[in-house]
Amino acid sequence: MISSIVKNKVCILLFSLFLGLFSCSDKLDFDQADDFKVTPSLASSIIFIEVPEFFFNAPFSSTSYANDFAFEAFNEDLFSRRVLSGIITYEIENTTSKPLTITFEFIDETGMVPLDKEEFVIAPGATFKRESVYGPGGKSLDIIVNTANIRLTAENRGDDTSVNLPDSKIVLKSKAEFKVELKK
Amino acid sequence: MKNFLVVVSILFSLGCIKLYGQHKQIMYDFKEVPQSNLLNPGIENMYKWYTGFPVLSGLSLGVGSSGIAAGDIFADDGIDITEKIRNQVINGMKAKDEFSFTNQIEVFNIGFRGKNNSKNYYSFGAYNEFDFITYWPKDLAILGFEGNAGNIGRRFSLKHVKARAELLNVYHFGINKKLNHKLTVGARGKVYSSIIDVNSSHNKGYFITNPGQNNILENTLVADMQVRTSGIKEIEDSLDDSIENNTQSVLINRGLLGGNLGLGLDLGFTYHIDEQTVITASVLDLGFIYHNNAVQNYTLKGSATVEGIEVILPDALINPNEDFWQDLVDDIEELIPFDDNNKSYITFRPTKLYGSYRYNFEKRKPKGDGGDCNCNYMKPHSLRINDVYLNAIGGQVYVINRPRGPQVSLTGFYQRKLGNFLTAKATYTVNKFSFSNVGLGISMKAGYLNMYLMADNLLAYQNLANSQYASFQFGLNILPWNNKR
Repeated sequence: MISSIVKNKVCILLFSLFLGLFSCSDKLDFDQADDFKVTPSLASSIIFIEVPEFFFNAPFSSTSYANDFAFEAFNEDLFSRRVLSGIITYEIENTTSKPLTITFEFIDETGMVPLDKEEFVIAPGATFKRESVYGPGGKSLDIIVNTANIRLTAENRGDDTSVNLPDSKIVLKSKAEFKVELKK
Repeated sequence: MKNFLVVVSILFSLGCIKLYGQHKQIMYDFKEVPQSNLLNPGIENMYKWYTGFPVLSGLSLGVGSSGIAAGDIFADDGIDITEKIRNQVINGMKAKDEFSFTNQIEVFNIGFRGKNNSKNYYSFGAYNEFDFITYWPKDLAILGFEGNAGNIGRRFSLKHVKARAELLNVYHFGINKKLNHKLTVGARGKVYSSIIDVNSSHNKGYFITNPGQNNILENTLVADMQVRTSGIKEIEDSLDDSIENNTQSVLINRGLLGGNLGLGLDLGFTYHIDEQTVITASVLDLGFIYHNNAVQNYTLKGSATVEGIEVILPDALINPNEDFWQDLVDDIEELIPFDDNNKSYITFRPTKLYGSYRYNFEKRKPKGDGGDCNCNYMKPHSLRINDVYLNAIGGQVYVINRPRGPQVSLTGFYQRKLGNFLTAKATYTVNKFSFSNVGLGISMKAGYLNMYLMADNLLAYQNLANSQYASFQFGLNILPWNNKR
């Protein structure tokens, strides 16, 4: 029995030696995990506004349209603490008979301070596209992360009569495309 | 020691153990190891009785992934890790690739031959099992890594989300009967005591970004997703409780039939076609668990398309104080509600099927003829018929039922007895994940002690960093010194 136990120990030892000593491994560097970055680019529309031409002719609207819209997507912690850079794209189509000035203002949560302003002067029947860059090489990202409201103003630079078709209107489209850092 | 650390590092860095953790191809039909009884209740038991060392009688563990090895990511090669992950994981892995982890620890395991009828063999015991599997959620991984901006028009499937984890204790009692010299059959009843269960496997839906109808882009989410859990809630509550060791007592209680219960069945047989040729088969874990205790389920169901805030005048002036942003958020939450419930549910165990064909050859030499065998050659197909052959060669098949359907492995093996104290078995296994899986197992008997050690995928030990998995099984048993039947 003793000899059997000795033989067993020898076998276990040999088997363990095979697994332990004859095994090899390339050098691994687990510290690399700290350098791993996940920076997806997220895209979404922001706001769509459609104002028919007759609205500018109505007595109560005078020559302008102005409104504030709450827009809290940018100052959500998940976004504001991780955003690296981005582009906001504006597309405006003016099918009215009037020249219009469209102003797009970014307002902070106090509702008082315009952080930034985009102004578009659109001729009758014209379309317009602009891309504004934020982050490195562009405007400050603070504008984006502190934005809680968007103020939109449309100002009529013409008269108060319509000469175009009844469905003539001013249409503003916008989208945001931002790179965020999910893992630093 | 360094290599051991590498193995452990791979284990924990990948956080996964592959299906081979469940596949015990070396153990199967390795009669010299009593635990082989758990893989085929119809096995020909060799021993008059056995009892495992508590907790040490059966320990099985394996590590790996089907799509990637630790070296693919963490090799010290000067390449940026983000690029390596982009190429090897995000773009390299497929939705059918999986990470899984299975380990089993025997709490106790006892077997004995019937006193009045030596053709009957009884066994009972308990083991703890942790089983985890997740398929690679490829589409969501790409969406998370790249975002949707560069993927306009690409549909990201939510179907890729398939995962399951369960921690349970299994209590079993088995009966094995030698019907005649050719056929031995067996059955084992199981009671499952689920401690924790988390599963999410029947998900549908997609996310897509397209050019919008009004605005520049539209994001669409169609979701029918569900995560079902049991046990988690009770453990969470115990963590909040100020009572010391409350969590420990909750875990123990749930493991001792105080959690969710289920029933299962193992069946198997061994049949001698002739004196040297044997076929076996078994089906394991035909069973289910009914979860009605500490259940917490989460659902996300609905569809919504968003083009940002939409203001169309003059309709938008009807309510001058309208908060368009909050309305948008409310609309989305209404269209795709994230709910929870406590509905009971049933999970089915991952059923396994084994089969084997074995050809025995080279008889031992009897004592007095230069050999060490007490075998009685005058009684063919006697209880000891397998002991009289030194060698065996054959093939095995293994099938396991997984969330994405059955997975099959084929194994060829060679087994050799070395004296009366040692048996070794070498295996070569192929399946959809590997064509180079060579395994080796040894079982030794010394007096009352039986010790076994089995390791898988030995070729990978040439470079553990590039190994996609590794597994081993180890155990200690007490056996009768005089094995008269």
